[in-house]
Amino acid sequence: CREGCSLSPIRPPSDQSSYQVLVDVSFRSLLSSHADPGVLDQPELKRVDQIRLKQSHTAATTFILEAVKHNADESTISSCLEELSFSADRIEVFYSTHQKHRRELQLLLASIGRCPPQINDASWRLQYHVKNDQVNKVNEPFYLIALNTENKGSSEDINFTCTVEQLQDLVGKLKDAAKSVEKASQM
Amino acid sequence: MCLVSELLSCCCSGLYRLFRMLLVLSEDHKEHLSFLPKVDAAVVGEFGRIALEFLRRGSSPKIYEGAARKLCVPVEMVQHGVEGLMYLMTESSKHMISEEDFLDSVLVLGFGEDLNQTLLQLYLQHHNQIRSILRQLPSSLPAYHNLEWRLDVQLASRPIRQQVVPMLTMRLLLTGGGDLSRKVLQTDPSTLLHLISTLEAALAAIKTNHARRIFRNIK
Repeated sequence: CREGCSLSPIRPPSDQSSYQVLVDVSFRSLLSSHADPGVLDQPELKRVDQIRLKQSHTAATTFILEAVKHNADESTISSCLEELSFSADRIEVFYSTHQKHRRELQLLLASIGRCPPQINDASWRLQYHVKNDQVNKVNEPFYLIALNTENKGSSEDINFTCTVEQLQDLVGKLKDAAKSVEKASQM
Repeated sequence: MCLVSELLSCCCSGLYRLFRMLLVLSEDHKEHLSFLPKVDAAVVGEFGRIALEFLRRGSSPKIYEGAARKLCVPVEMVQHGVEGLMYLMTESSKHMISEEDFLDSVLVLGFGEDLNQTLLQLYLQHHNQIRSILRQLPSSLPAYHNLEWRLDVQLASRPIRQQVVPMLTMRLLLTGGGDLSRKVLQTDPSTLLHLISTLEAALAAIKTNHARRIFRNIK
């Protein structure tokens, strides 16, 4: 977090209302604005020198990300901002906005990066295999399973067949995994 | 009630004897098999073994060449003989024809009694195996082979530190067209419980009256 402080020469605008707006806008640009360049077009910010505004905005967003990334607590954030000569009011404004959006930012950061496809759901069909052209009579039940997976927004179905015994094996293994999760959570 | 079912079963077995299953062998097929009486019984047995391997693993030209050299005959003759034998075995196994019907079917080839018996023995020894191999063939969809899993806790990643995220990483092994495909997947504990309950419901479906009725009546 010390690095975060040194990287961001935040020089906040002089009056309180534009400060509050800048703080809100900084959080919003990370969460919902989707890199909209018009995010700084707020009436309260028109009076501020535009270059200084942009620098402050960049510094603020960098600081916010570092704080969330390292799960910084109140004292760390406060002392960082104190070093940058923020008044107690302004530190309070920043910290309360931070608390409001912290969880959402954590989820956003956690979703970045590569990971294997995530299983969301499973669907199944039970069918009775009567016969086919290779073997005259089969007379066996079997399952068609589809695992719905998602990876970075795109979903894919993994389809496979299995016999009754194989499905029992699969369910047994999943239950073993669930038991181990339960044991781990009790440690 | 008893009498009726007895009468019915007598009729059924009588009908079965009426409706015999005889194999119809094409001219080409008969020609390919005509090679067999020219060699001894041991060689026919050997061809039977090669034919079974063919079914399991596909043919290899080296085997045919080796056999052709030993018997001093052209390679095509060996190849046709083995293929003809294989086709005879698979068709017989597919329809599960009885001993009687098998012998009557090969009668048309005009072989001697000993050769017919050798062929019959080959059929009887291998037909179950052949059926189980044939049964696996038509599957175009991947089939379940195995599931490996591990429980991990994610502690940090490049964009965020100080995490405590439990995750289930799994490797699903599927067979499809001979080779194994491996898929690495992940899920979280609550989705895992949902998957288990969904698939348990699938297993319960087999035990319903509806399913049992179908299994009993389609034979």
